[in-house]
Amino acid sequence: MNGDVAASLLSEFDLETETETLPQPAGSSQDELLVLGIETSCDETCASILRGKDNVLANVISSSADLHRRYGGVVPEVASRAHVQAMNPAIAEALRLADLTLWDMNAIAVTVGPGLVGSLVVGVAAAKALASVLEVPLLPINHLEAHIYANFLEHPDFAPPAVGLIVSGGHSLLVHMQAHGLYDVLGETLDDAAGEAFDKVARYLGLGYPGGPAIDQMALGGNKRAINFPRAVMHRGYDFSFSGLKTAVQDYLRKQEEQGKEVKLEDVCASFQEAVVDVQVHKTIKAAQELMVSTVFVSGGVASNSRLRELMSAMCAENDLRLHYPSPEYCTDNAAMVACCGHFRYIRGIRADSSISAEPNLHLA
Amino acid sequence: MLVLGIETSTPAASVTIGSEQGIIASSLVTRGAGPGDFILPAVEFMMEQSGLSYRNLSAIAVGLGPGLFTGMRVGVATAKTMAQALSVPIVGASSLDLLAFDVRYSDKLICPVFDAKRSEVFFAFYRQVPGGITRETSFTVGSPDRLVAEIQGSGEDFLLVGNGALLYKDALEKVDKVEFGSMAYAFPRAASLVELALPRLFMEDYDRLFDIEPYYMRRSDAEINWDRGMQRKKA
Ligand SMILES: [Zn+2]
Repeated sequence: MNGDVAASLLSEFDLETETETLPQPAGSSQDELLVLGIETSCDETCASILRGKDNVLANVISSSADLHRRYGGVVPEVASRAHVQAMNPAIAEALRLADLTLWDMNAIAVTVGPGLVGSLVVGVAAAKALASVLEVPLLPINHLEAHIYANFLEHPDFAPPAVGLIVSGGHSLLVHMQAHGLYDVLGETLDDAAGEAFDKVARYLGLGYPGGPAIDQMALGGNKRAINFPRAVMHRGYDFSFSGLKTAVQDYLRKQEEQGKEVKLEDVCASFQEAVVDVQVHKTIKAAQELMVSTVFVSGGVASNSRLRELMSAMCAENDLRLHYPSPEYCTDNAAMVACCGHFRYIRGIRADSSISAEPNLHLA
Repeated sequence: MLVLGIETSTPAASVTIGSEQGIIASSLVTRGAGPGDFILPAVEFMMEQSGLSYRNLSAIAVGLGPGLFTGMRVGVATAKTMAQALSVPIVGASSLDLLAFDVRYSDKLICPVFDAKRSEVFFAFYRQVPGGITRETSFTVGSPDRLVAEIQGSGEDFLLVGNGALLYKDALEKVDKVEFGSMAYAFPRAASLVELALPRLFMEDYDRLFDIEPYYMRRSDAEINWDRGMQRKKA
């Protein structure tokens, strides 16, 4: 991990020197900078227009989730086709909401990865076409980094260094943001992402897809201490694992059925959710303390989970840590966070040309 | 009327700038990193070489396949977004039409054949008419054996072109009365796309930007499996 940090530091240094040699565009101060963000890494086609670092003029999200529901998960080919249809109307709608034209844009920011390759290429193709036609810089954005930047949209005092969780249907990471563009991944899931675990358990319980909101809702009426589900790998570093917990839920349901006992869905949901949240919160707090960082964030679709917010807030208050999390519309995939990450890239002088491509397996650090 | 054509629905990615007065610049590559990495650098190079800019374009033409899913999507997404940014009309054409148009100087039935992977091919039958071609069948995806059967069933002389015809030459050769096109016509080209788009553009017969879509011809595996599952449940 130390070697990685050294390498990131080096590249950071190179980039900082670039800043001084690159001229800023005439007549556009940082606060007036207009960035069009594009995001198509999964099943949401998103376009957003951002003025400055946090003035969201438009945040359009067109989801193909309805098309995937009956399959119980995102079908890549179905998502890719939906992006081709939804991309240009989303851009048009963002421009309409912002009352601007494409020719007003100073830069185009686009998610290049990680994500589904067939989905990513659609947004990347559109962004490259725009940057080429409009002759503005293209800013290739890491989707995970964008999730962290969602915090800059609403919290003027959010700044690195910070430690936080990126938790969604596709990802579960514990990250140390040391500076803009400089990250250390402290821990990752060894199997399912947090959102995936919610989806799978929701399926066992017949609660439909997507599972996160359904379980969150059901858990409100349940007792989180009713069933003592295992807290996975609490002792092993900062990595996560949810497969044992998933199996424990299945075992519990089977035993109840064998013994002819009634299953109280509310209790199963509340107890399962508590097990997921408990591990994540404790590891985050522990990391913040060990790294002596006083700012904590939670990002990604699962960051909307009410119990995660509740417990994280309580634990941060108890440990004198400042907690930031985006509002729900910036937790799930969106292009405002991509544009925001693009904004900070732009002012640091980082540019790309039309040779960028989708990078489905892109890492954060 | 200056038109930019983008055709990336087969392993050949090509872009052309042209008008009713002729082809100005053309670029074609059949191997490499993929259409996503080719289109824009190629377009920018052609414009630089010919002293043109995007603002000179009056329309965008795009190849819609049938063909390879990712290639079609990259081409269509690029073309749509360019048309949107430039506020110019867009016109789509089938890649099978393009190749048939290229070899239209024959009295035989013309059949462009593209490799569709999974041991299948895309094809359609065309006939020469004054000034162009007419398509006599719908676009089809099927096994080479099915194509053989359809050729035999029609009883006519055939000209087979395209990478699918070359790939399955052994099987297709067994039929009497078939002739194979040269490898110079293995793929559809953006040059013919521009040529075919021009008459439509002059008649203002545009496609709708938000509606234009690739000819996928196949559903996703998940959809196919789902339907099979439903049929099994019903049975
Ligand atoms: Zn995400």
